[in-house]
Amino acid sequence: MIAHHTRLAGKVLKYGFLTAGAVMATGPILFALYTSLELPADYPRLVWFSRLTLWNYRYVFDNAPVLQWYANTAFVTLGVVVGAVVINTLAGYALARIHFPGRTVTFLVVLAILMVPLQAILIPLYLLVAQLGWLNSYQALIVPFIANPFLIFLMRQSFQTLPADLEEAAVVDGAGRFRSFLKIAVPLTMSGIATQAVLAGTWTWNSFMIPVTFTTDPGHYMMTVGLNSLQSQFYTLTTVQMAGVVLLTVPIVVMFVTFQRLIVPSFATAGIRG
Amino acid sequence: MLLGPAAGLLGLWFVYPIIDTVVLGFQQVNLFHFSQRSYVGLTNFHQLLEDPAFHHSLFITMIFVLLVVPAQTVAALVIASVLQSVGIGKTFFRTAFFLPYMTSTVAVTTVFMKLFVEGGPLATVAARLFGVSDSTWYAEPSLALPFLVIVYVYMYIGLYVVVFVGGIENVPPELHEAARVDGAGVIQRFRFVTVPGVRPYVFFVVVAGFIQAVQIFDQAYVIASNGAILGSPAGATATLVIFIYQQAFRLNDLGYGSAAAVVLLVVVFLGTALTRRLLPERS
Repeated sequence: MIAHHTRLAGKVLKYGFLTAGAVMATGPILFALYTSLELPADYPRLVWFSRLTLWNYRYVFDNAPVLQWYANTAFVTLGVVVGAVVINTLAGYALARIHFPGRTVTFLVVLAILMVPLQAILIPLYLLVAQLGWLNSYQALIVPFIANPFLIFLMRQSFQTLPADLEEAAVVDGAGRFRSFLKIAVPLTMSGIATQAVLAGTWTWNSFMIPVTFTTDPGHYMMTVGLNSLQSQFYTLTTVQMAGVVLLTVPIVVMFVTFQRLIVPSFATAGIRG
Repeated sequence: MLLGPAAGLLGLWFVYPIIDTVVLGFQQVNLFHFSQRSYVGLTNFHQLLEDPAFHHSLFITMIFVLLVVPAQTVAALVIASVLQSVGIGKTFFRTAFFLPYMTSTVAVTTVFMKLFVEGGPLATVAARLFGVSDSTWYAEPSLALPFLVIVYVYMYIGLYVVVFVGGIENVPPELHEAARVDGAGVIQRFRFVTVPGVRPYVFFVVVAGFIQAVQIFDQAYVIASNGAILGSPAGATATLVIFIYQQAFRLNDLGYGSAAAVVLLVVVFLGTALTRRLLPERS
């Protein structure tokens, strides 16, 4: 009886603890959502739901090029994702399956640069972009970030888990190397490819240091840079800034909640790559 | 052939910039005349040795890392072990904890700036609970770095929770059962079964957390966006990467900034080497 009670108490305690943690984790996001629906005059008071309004969203769309920033972010993200999926999948396949001289060396180089942070190579990256005349352009935000050592590594692992005989059988049946790659290997690594798309997409959507350094013209801003600029533009309008936060965050949150089973493990590996 | 495009892109946008960072460290280059590069030997590195601003940035980064790494490691381990021990709702809670890691650094920092403004919700709570003065944290020299720590840890805890959940799943449940039979309480089982069982993961999270934390930039940049100079207030958030950025893109000294970036490269490489050594079976 007593054991039963302690066990129940323990359960209550555990769920209480987890609930408190979940409230802390989601609280700031919910705060932003709620505040973004308040009239500027009402903030920071709490008001009943019937007083909430989309005023801040209309205001921010009317007074800042938010639509342009959204379009820029979507375009750049799409560019990186499509490019990354094609390039890194091919590279991962080559490293997993094709024997060529220098394969080991290439793979070691990929491993060696896996941990290098963009922060450490930002200056030469900026110089390259500037020399190409790419400052304030979309390609500066897309091209350098297509080939990614971690994603190559990820795809190599995916292809290595496939039994090689499947493709060999296809090759024996007269399919070329590339055909067997496209018809057999790729469909079987769809989850790896989807993971790659989600990782590259989230990184690009949320990226800040690169676009804030490579773009100075508000017409080329990504949402993160635009949101940051709202801070000084609408300094006193907290509610408007929060509308910007929500606009930036919602697509990622929706994608995350939809694909969370796929996303969580891959982000955990990517976040501690090495 | 399949590797060609990736090799070309990696070569140009990863390998070459790594090499060029080191080369630039030995040169004098101005941001606005960047085609004129002249070798100056070890001048930049000598200057780093004597520059109080650089020492200060290393100090700030060290304090930041020393606050962040233990806090997020312990918090994530505790949350993960509780999470692992419940049946229903595990996925729901894991999703909730992981959510902050998925959101943009700019969005999270902007929100926390409103929460920790004078009279804001969390500044008020902190004042009541801990007796900290109710003030705008990111504008207060003594509170700006703790503010960065809070924003940073908030985002990263979820990541390490997931890593630890993976680790705890590898601890055989019989060990817990045996300890329970021997009369060990919850705390004792955590201390003597869970912690030793996940020890390799703890080392890993500490080193990976260190490597991530020394790169802190976005959050410090955002709090200085209101026309304040980078590292504000009064240099309280002038981290190593902020120092690099400041030298290169505000003071236009690409060579000097690169020399400091070489220091960051070395720190990250040492950290990586350490992870590989600690966890040979994983590399």
